[in-house]
Amino acid sequence: MFQIKPIVSMLMRNKSGPLLLLIQIILSVAIVANASFIISERIGLIGRESGVAESEVFDFSIYNFDESIVPESQNLRDLEIIRQLDGVKAAVSTSMTPLSGGGWSSNFSYGSSEEDRKDTPNAALYYSDEQFISTLGLNLIEGRNFYPDEVHIGGSELASLAIVTAEFAKETFGDEPAVGQTMYRGNIGDQPMKIIGVVERLQSAWVDNSNLNRSVILNVELNNAFNRILVRADEAAIAGLKESIPAALHKEHPNRVVTDFTTISEHRISVYRNHELMASVLSLMVVLLLLITSLGLAGMVMFNIERRTKQIGTRRALGAKKRDIVSFFLVENYLLCLIGGGLGGLIAVQLGQQLMTLYSLPKLELIYPIITVAGLLVLTTIAVILPARKAAKISPAIATRSV
Amino acid sequence: MFFYYLDLAWRSIKKTPFLSLLMVLAISIGIGITITTLNIYKMASVNPAGERSSQLFSVQLMSQDPDTWQNISEQITYQDAINLRKSEVPIRQTAMFRTGLAVQTEDVNFSPILEGVRVADSDFFAIFDVPFLYGSPWSKQVDSEGGYKVVISEDLNTKAFGGTNSVGKTLILDRKPYQVVGVIKNWNPSPKYYDVNNGAFNESEQIFVPFSLAPIEEFNSWGNNNSWRHENIRNYNDRLNSEMHWVQYWTELSTPAMQQEYKLWLGNYVEQQQQLGRFKHPEARGEISDVATWMVFNNVVPEDNKVLVGLSVLFLVVCLVNMLGLLLAKFLKRAPEVGVRRAIGASRMQIFSQHLVEVGLIGFCGGVLGLAWAWGALSLLASKFDLTESLSQLDQSMWLIAPVIAVSAAIIAGVYPAWRICTTNPSIYLKSQ
Repeated sequence: MFQIKPIVSMLMRNKSGPLLLLIQIILSVAIVANASFIISERIGLIGRESGVAESEVFDFSIYNFDESIVPESQNLRDLEIIRQLDGVKAAVSTSMTPLSGGGWSSNFSYGSSEEDRKDTPNAALYYSDEQFISTLGLNLIEGRNFYPDEVHIGGSELASLAIVTAEFAKETFGDEPAVGQTMYRGNIGDQPMKIIGVVERLQSAWVDNSNLNRSVILNVELNNAFNRILVRADEAAIAGLKESIPAALHKEHPNRVVTDFTTISEHRISVYRNHELMASVLSLMVVLLLLITSLGLAGMVMFNIERRTKQIGTRRALGAKKRDIVSFFLVENYLLCLIGGGLGGLIAVQLGQQLMTLYSLPKLELIYPIITVAGLLVLTTIAVILPARKAAKISPAIATRSV
Repeated sequence: MFFYYLDLAWRSIKKTPFLSLLMVLAISIGIGITITTLNIYKMASVNPAGERSSQLFSVQLMSQDPDTWQNISEQITYQDAINLRKSEVPIRQTAMFRTGLAVQTEDVNFSPILEGVRVADSDFFAIFDVPFLYGSPWSKQVDSEGGYKVVISEDLNTKAFGGTNSVGKTLILDRKPYQVVGVIKNWNPSPKYYDVNNGAFNESEQIFVPFSLAPIEEFNSWGNNNSWRHENIRNYNDRLNSEMHWVQYWTELSTPAMQQEYKLWLGNYVEQQQQLGRFKHPEARGEISDVATWMVFNNVVPEDNKVLVGLSVLFLVVCLVNMLGLLLAKFLKRAPEVGVRRAIGASRMQIFSQHLVEVGLIGFCGGVLGLAWAWGALSLLASKFDLTESLSQLDQSMWLIAPVIAVSAAIIAGVYPAWRICTTNPSIYLKSQ
């Protein structure tokens, strides 16, 4: 009933047209499948949660260049001033900001002796105080926070307690509980640091690094001339605070630069900019490619209809219904689409393989070519059905007049 | 004859406006996408050192212990930088890193600003061909003895001194007075090849101060500070004597002989350090890379760009196949007309070239429209993603490349249909007339 035999014989009689369509479908499937795979992979990356109350938290830096300023006491004083401003919920000084693209990272060692010493995976280092967890809105799932009197002020060598992320704990200690373990800076015995708590999630500064979900919070407020502050505030108050914080700090001491106010949401946008750019350009490509393929197909079908006017008229005169004419073109299209889709799928997998070995892209999942072919079937149906319905209206009398 | 064909082509296009429009659209979108990705790629991979690319060399040392880093680091330690400076082989050389300082002037109304600063030797300006507006770099003597001299950019000169010749005036950096010795014209190589470790497409620095001031003024390093072993760094002196990699080193070696000589010198240096108990890695060595090699080593062109260019070329192929099919349809439809022309004496060659001219015209229109697409796409991307100007500008070469690709691609697509039409037997089509 699908008249496959006459369709195939007709396709074979005039090979170049259908062959070109076939090539086009094959290439389209290969490109669209790989492009949409890359797009969905990037969107997945962008969607990863940071664990931070992003819309409420922002950071800025203070640069104290006046030698009369004593960083240790000035920093405490500055935090006090900031915490008292309207709209501020919490504020801490920190060694780095999540998703900011720059900061500190390191690995530690653990084990009972030099012989069974192991290295932890690389982790981001946040040096801060007991208010860090509440300022960022982190979720403490095991153990406890630092007590205020456990926080040291000074250099990184003072760190003695650590709060780690769940992912770091799992990758380092497996199923053993992390709380109560001791890690060392360098060799076993060097600067012991006891893990006292685990937070559910806290991302590092580098979204393209494997250490993204491994963070360690250490109980030291680093007080350098260059200081980074994290503030949590009511969303509505943030814009105003960008003005009132520098004003308040300059009133306290004018000889310093207060600059670089950025919300975590803004950090997120800029740190994922390249991924978004890639996803956008590829989406544009996919849409245009599908448009071109369907327009090309529609053009070819229209041409075919004109060429086959007489044939269609004859068939109509011999009793073919309008529906038969439309389904003739549709079946022809589906045949091409399925063959092209099958071959295109194979090439898509090959192309994916190439991209995977040449560049650090993950392996193409098979669902992508399949969805692409399905989508192409729907799209080409529309592209075919419009001119085909026109063809079905051809009156047998006119079409056969000159025979 | 060409113009007659052009006229024929135009008439033929007018006769089948829908098909022709489809073709122009297909090729223009293909060209638009290709030019967009090609433009981003080209801007990201341009070698800003130009002719000097093969004379400027970044120096790297594999100075770490075994079982630490696998690869050679792109930066070196401070102590190695000081030792490398002793070599007399290079014409010029500079150790450097990036820092930031608070800028004030003697004008009390000038509110302090924080600016990125490059700490470098006086040769920096000659090595990287930095153009001066006023004055000159500080003297060689400052490089060895230290001195509070500064070179600033035209922009900062306008901000701090109202754009006048400020040579001899005083700029206050972190509360210390520096004497301005030179003002450079705005200079912002893209990619910022001389220091790619903080992003290759950042703005270059506005302020340049002598490297010899680093141990005196204890400048922070705004960049990667990588350690392969744990050392207790309590003060700046610890940092200077540590094995931490944080200094960049560039040399100018103009002849291959000189490069050979310098490699030899580096080899000797590595051996000498090994005797002193450093450089324990079995692959310990010194390496020099010219600018082109350096940019490849540092992956200045992101892999994403390469994937995009590859996919967009495939995209263009789809557009061409599409166009080939449409051309075939269009030309074969016109077969009866060709039959008449052949019958009244047109040669196959004439028919063939007439059709190719038509295809070329369609390609050209597609190319021009494609350029417009590319321009639109780039401005759209630039506004949405805050791309630096250098990445989003349509490169001048594209004005030539786009139509050339478009016309030649169209002609490639048109050869087969044109050949088909000129080889068909005219009698078939004449019969039914």
